[in-house]
Amino acid sequence: MTKPKIALYWAAACGGCDVAVLDTNEKILDIANLVDIVFWPIALDFKYHHVKAMEDKTIDLCLFNGAIRSTEQEEIAKLLRAKSKVMVAFGACACFGGIPALANFTDRAEIFQRVYLEAPSNSNEGKTIPLVQTKVAEGELELPELFDTVLTLEQVVDVEYFVPGCPPPVDLILKLVDLFAKGQLPPVGSVVASDKTCCDECDRKKEEKKITRIYRPHEIKTDPEKCLLEQGVICCGPATRGGCGLRCVKANMPCRGCFGPPPGVFDQGARMVSAIATVYQGEGEAEIKKMVEEIVDPAGTFYRFGLANSMLRRKRPKQVEGR
Amino acid sequence: MPKISIDPITRLEGHGKIEIFLNGDGDVENVYLQIPELRGFEKFCEGRPVEELPRIVPRICGV
Repeated sequence: MTKPKIALYWAAACGGCDVAVLDTNEKILDIANLVDIVFWPIALDFKYHHVKAMEDKTIDLCLFNGAIRSTEQEEIAKLLRAKSKVMVAFGACACFGGIPALANFTDRAEIFQRVYLEAPSNSNEGKTIPLVQTKVAEGELELPELFDTVLTLEQVVDVEYFVPGCPPPVDLILKLVDLFAKGQLPPVGSVVASDKTCCDECDRKKEEKKITRIYRPHEIKTDPEKCLLEQGVICCGPATRGGCGLRCVKANMPCRGCFGPPPGVFDQGARMVSAIATVYQGEGEAEIKKMVEEIVDPAGTFYRFGLANSMLRRKRPKQVEGR
Repeated sequence: MPKISIDPITRLEGHGKIEIFLNGDGDVENVYLQIPELRGFEKFCEGRPVEELPRIVPRICGV
């Protein structure tokens, strides 16, 4: 009997999702026994031409991590979609844009300016910036074109399942593999995680306490037993899907939303604004204004992992953008 | 000039491709390593609170 075929790919990503697959430790051997891995750049030497040579729908399961922010990533997403029966947006970047989607607060021209021309650690006297085509003595070199706007995987191709997290925790990876192996994958569109919020799953004490100000970490010593938000520390747990194992709050770090919005919520940031409004006890415009000012970077905090997937999607471009 | 492309380079963290140009004798004339990816941390970290950076920049490389 031929084994099911799995592909793994990274687009605009850090490799952490691939490492999370390896974090299954010895169970990776069970996975390797169960399936044939036909494409996985971080670990195996298959090239794009190998994938292009496959018949359509050859791959049974594609775990695609990373956001889409270049023509190459869009092309490979479409290629893997055509070759795969089941496409999984794997990790926060593929699901919601993730950290790379913070680039949606800026654009390609500003990024090139900073990275190649201004960054103090860079020596670029020739003022070289990446070009799609470059003539060299021997011929021509090509690079993919960067988009102004970082996209989620689902904004580019159809996606069957979503495994959130930065990175997805090992238990959810094994759950996905197990469901796949048993032929028990959930209905298309399902998110393989909890249906509760991170806040619902958190065992810190909540006292329905109101807050009068927002604290930054250096301004407060938090009580590790109590709800961070009720102590005045921005914690995105109420606006975030659970299933993460509470890795951050257990380390006394507030949630930053890497599991994306909970079921029924489209805009994670709007939900977070609503959660803060619920706990804030301030009267009058002046007090409310003061509290709003205490939140240093509301958009970058509430949309830390989800800007590409939000209603905002990006900062309004200064000029007509490429896409 | 004939060209051999190694795309993508594999078994390392990050994205890259290698273009090998061959001369008339089939020998290597020149080789280019290209990095077809950029996320722009240098730019989008600007404006984020300093205490948040230890949670943002680990995503430069998660390997």
